[in-house]
Amino acid sequence: MFVWKCWRDTRGFFVVFLAIAALPMPMAAFAMINRGAAILDAGPAAFQQTFVMVVTAAAYALATICAIQEFTDKTAHFLFTKPRSRGYFVWTSWIVGFTELVMVAAVNLLVGWGVLAHYGAKAFSDGPQKWNLVSPQKFIEAAAYACFAYALTFALAAILRSGLKGLGASLGLLAGVVGVSAALQMRWRINLPLPPEQIGHLPLALSECAWMVLALLFVLAAQLVVERAEI
Amino acid sequence: MMEAVISTDHLTKTYRQVSAVRELNLNVPRGAIYGFLGRNGAGKTTTIKMLLGLTRPTSGSARVLGMDTARDRIAIFQRTAFVSEKKTLYPLLTPNELVRFSRGFYPTWDEKAVEKYSQLLEIPMTQRFEKLSNGNQTKVFLLLALAQGADLLILDEPTTALDPLTADEFLRVLAASAMERGCTVFFSSHQLEEVERIAEYVGVMDRGKLMLESRLDDIKSEFRLVIAVGNSLPRQTSSQVLSVVADGDCCRYFVTQDADGFAAKLTQNGATVTQVVSLGLRDIFLQLVRKELPCSSGNAGATLVGSSSSF
Repeated sequence: MFVWKCWRDTRGFFVVFLAIAALPMPMAAFAMINRGAAILDAGPAAFQQTFVMVVTAAAYALATICAIQEFTDKTAHFLFTKPRSRGYFVWTSWIVGFTELVMVAAVNLLVGWGVLAHYGAKAFSDGPQKWNLVSPQKFIEAAAYACFAYALTFALAAILRSGLKGLGASLGLLAGVVGVSAALQMRWRINLPLPPEQIGHLPLALSECAWMVLALLFVLAAQLVVERAEI
Repeated sequence: MMEAVISTDHLTKTYRQVSAVRELNLNVPRGAIYGFLGRNGAGKTTTIKMLLGLTRPTSGSARVLGMDTARDRIAIFQRTAFVSEKKTLYPLLTPNELVRFSRGFYPTWDEKAVEKYSQLLEIPMTQRFEKLSNGNQTKVFLLLALAQGADLLILDEPTTALDPLTADEFLRVLAASAMERGCTVFFSSHQLEEVERIAEYVGVMDRGKLMLESRLDDIKSEFRLVIAVGNSLPRQTSSQVLSVVADGDCCRYFVTQDADGFAAKLTQNGATVTQVVSLGLRDIFLQLVRKELPCSSGNAGATLVGSSSSF
């Protein structure tokens, strides 16, 4: 039904991102196969950076194509006369994209981890000590930022009735917030927390939860706007 | 009138300064094929959107299948099939995939109807929607609507942009299906011939107002053009006389009821009634929306230049 349609609309991008998530680490490791030390020296940093890039790009791309496209495609009259609430359509498309994002992140994480474990162990007997270079906090922050960016872009795309407009607005808004934060810091020494930074003295996990709640509020706002939209 | 499947109570929609629908009181009887006539911009699509809850009314209310359109939208959609004037669907899906997509929404979905109508309408079920001709795209909409097993079919200008043959086929299938299943069909159009062909009830809308609503046979049997010659003929309109066109000693009266009685009254007053002409839906429609005046011979389509008093 609608889940199937969402999957059908996004599966092309999803498969591409899955490939992008899965391939870089094995390929890099394979290229350095005869330079054993280099794998463990550069590997953890490469793993971290690849993860940040892949999940961020996937978040923006999936949000852009997952958001309710019915207004752009002029098919709102068809979908919104089906016996389901508009909220159902908003949240279902959000969940499908979010699931795909989680899968992309998981694949990247597992493959990267597996490659480091496999080649690292082969290259050095003290391999496990090098894992200290991989910071779990960086991964948590990257994942939290991806979720936040995904929800914000999705919400704006649904509200502005266009995936590309939503993407532009989301990037603009986040850049604007960074600018405002920098200005506040310079002018009045006020520290405005930016996603996915720690909020004040809250523990990291709680801060990330707070960012997630804010992200879900964006989707809720999108639902309210779509429910009230005149077609 | 029988039990109403669609009824509106002073339904009004205003866009800023523009009044799209004004104080509309519509009644569509159960089991009827109702032709909703009006020229472009008359307010037909806005009315349909309000009936489906796609647009909120500025004031007034509407009930569909006995349910409030503002409150019971989802329950209404379960029993109502809609074909929009915009014949756009997911371009990359095939009709088979569109069937797969739609069927999960409706417990009353009829798979046999899909088979029957896809064959009857000769729809290429495995071709992408974007690759289908206009006619076939419209047929896909009809197929989805009919397979839904709905009690009410609402179609907004379904045959626009269809060639006469396809339009004919479309209407034939629509009328036969409605008769077979006993569902109510409410369709808007400005194609008078097609309304005349299949509709039992007609509503004529112009500039946001409902000008006329009645059984088509009643309209045809009541509305007459009375042509009279004489001195001092009455030139006023009334509830019985919709318009008067004067040309010297000759007057053409567009009479909405009891034309024979009206002609007799004119004769009593010394006038000579030369013709009492029955009118087709086209003449009636044009009179109501006042874009064309009735011709002296009663031929549809001829335009008479003359003065007309307004009612």
